[in-house]
Amino acid sequence: MPSLVFWASEVKGLLEQGAQLVDVLSEDDFEHDHLPGAINIPLKRLDAKTTAALDRDRTVLVYCNDFG
Amino acid sequence: MIEYVPGKQAWYEENQPREGQAVDEIWIGDVADSEVPTCDPADRIGDVRARTAGWDTCVVVNSERVVMGLLRKKELDGDSTATAGQVMRLGPSTFRPSMTLQDLLRSMRDHDIQTNSLVTTLDGRLLGVISRADAEATMAHESSAEVAS
Repeated sequence: MPSLVFWASEVKGLLEQGAQLVDVLSEDDFEHDHLPGAINIPLKRLDAKTTAALDRDRTVLVYCNDFG
Repeated sequence: MIEYVPGKQAWYEENQPREGQAVDEIWIGDVADSEVPTCDPADRIGDVRARTAGWDTCVVVNSERVVMGLLRKKELDGDSTATAGQVMRLGPSTFRPSMTLQDLLRSMRDHDIQTNSLVTTLDGRLLGVISRADAEATMAHESSAEVAS
């Protein structure tokens, strides 16, 4: 399985297979807009505790704002 | 763990859906008119003119709907035997679908743009067009709805 994806079609394919989508932007950014079905774990708070609710048996797909 | 490298801006620039407060905003990808006439660069202007009745715009696209150029009224009314590729305007301005209609309208007003604006994905595929008149009417309707509520 690739560790990087570049196209929306790949994201959709992974979501159809049960992937969990994680938005690592700030809470404000997340509240304004995010990809459908995403959960928010801001990058600065990404640790064992905040990721505990993620299912270890399912793919985790993360995204930020853009290439930068 | 897998990273979606281009991130959410690229997602939106492919005109994909969103959740959050932004669903209450009007993004131009939501309202672009996808019925705008298109043609191939090899098409003759006479043939293009015949199927663009009622429009003053025809977008020249390739087989993947990537924008190659633009025909406006002047070109559509020109030499019938010329091909679209010969007379099209190169490098037309395009806008991404995640731009708000409010921002596009502001740009249209600032630059006195009365013609159709093209909305394309990040890789240049045509999603549709928005006319100044439609942008004005949609925003006026939105403003009156906000006042009413």
